[in-house]
Amino acid sequence: MSSTQDAIREAAKNALASGRVDYFIGWTQGHTPSEAIPAFIRRPEEVDRLIWSPLCHHNLVTFLKRKMPDPPESRIGVCVKGCDSRTLVALLQEGLVDRERLYVVGIPCAGVIDKRLVDALFTDEVTEIDFEGDLVTARTRMGESKEFALADVLLDQCGGCYSPNPRYADELVGDTLPESQGKPQFPGLEEFEALDSAAKDALLAEAFSTCIRCFACINVCPVCYCWDQCVNRSRRPALVGQKVDTKENTLFQMVHMFHVAGRCPSCGACDRACPVQIPLYLLHRKMNKELYEMLGFMAGMDVDEKPVFQTFRIDDVLGE
Amino acid sequence: MTAQTETRTRPVKVIAIVCNWCSYAGADGAGTARLKQPYNFRVLRVPCTGRIDPLLALKAFQKGADGVLISGCHPGDCHYSEGNYYARRKFELLDRMLPHLGVESQRFKYTWVSASEAARWQSVITEFVGHVQELGPREGRAL
Repeated sequence: MSSTQDAIREAAKNALASGRVDYFIGWTQGHTPSEAIPAFIRRPEEVDRLIWSPLCHHNLVTFLKRKMPDPPESRIGVCVKGCDSRTLVALLQEGLVDRERLYVVGIPCAGVIDKRLVDALFTDEVTEIDFEGDLVTARTRMGESKEFALADVLLDQCGGCYSPNPRYADELVGDTLPESQGKPQFPGLEEFEALDSAAKDALLAEAFSTCIRCFACINVCPVCYCWDQCVNRSRRPALVGQKVDTKENTLFQMVHMFHVAGRCPSCGACDRACPVQIPLYLLHRKMNKELYEMLGFMAGMDVDEKPVFQTFRIDDVLGE
Repeated sequence: MTAQTETRTRPVKVIAIVCNWCSYAGADGAGTARLKQPYNFRVLRVPCTGRIDPLLALKAFQKGADGVLISGCHPGDCHYSEGNYYARRKFELLDRMLPHLGVESQRFKYTWVSASEAARWQSVITEFVGHVQELGPREGRAL
């Protein structure tokens, strides 16, 4: 783990020193050693701020979204994990980022932790998390300490990850992990799928009634990039109401889900960003499962592939 | 009659989003030929099914439609060559997702009706509205 961290720092240092990039986006320690946050590194001597651990869940590709690079002509270095790289590939497929201005450091990722699962183990605020092999040690502000297996607190999608290795990178750091065999997994859906129509509806109604329309899910999403042209923000035409109520919130989330179809690899960034803990992963993962069963399609696997809704096959076998 | 039984038995409202070049002409032909059709559907004419964002169907459901039918040119016969091939993929996804969004699968259908198929239009719309009427009006739904 630390060797990967060193390799990231080395790659960032070289890229900055040689002028290959204007700045480098990675992860650094947050307010406490229990969290990581995105970091923008602009000088070679700053690279020691960069870290790599299973806390680094942020998908940094979101900073590359169309029109976001600041200044517009800057060259950017960026770290990507396996799932992050698929969102980057999705943007590359549609020509929404300029490959020439990017320097992508790919990191094979064995899974990142779900901080919410760790927090749930304590009554106090977790301020420190250490990793030693497969063992995690977490300590709270009051000094309470617990040890548990890394596998128990990973994000649920990390367990059966289909693409642990980056699908696109200029430089790969760390050891390549064994590629997943067989079919992709879509965990956590069985319970939802088994519900009847009315129960699903009730579940969604309850979840979406708490949405405060903060747009965190959309802003954090690396492949949702319409900005001012977003139909969700549009007042004229008023297709999605700005009123915050269950019906409008539901439509708002449906729009996000359908508009990222074909680019969304279920990285779960929206789910983690949601301040009211709406289970957004349900919808996006379900959609991806349907897309896979429909056309065998998975988002962002190959830079040369066309996005699923920008192409067609005359012999698509689809029922009416 | 109380307000509650009234809503349960009221005729359903169906939105038919149809392509200008095929299904609209087919539906028009059915009307001209005086073919008997249900009276409780509204037609929304669009230039091509490829233009239809799934949002239109979702918005219709949200605004109180009890069923949404989308119909365009048969694959291969698109006025713009390939619009309906793109549409087919989108609607298939929508069709698969709607049952999970609290909309029963029989409330949504996408199909193809050409300009000369007035009789087919009659059977498609009659059958679809019939299914939706069996399910009855949608009430108290999230979407």
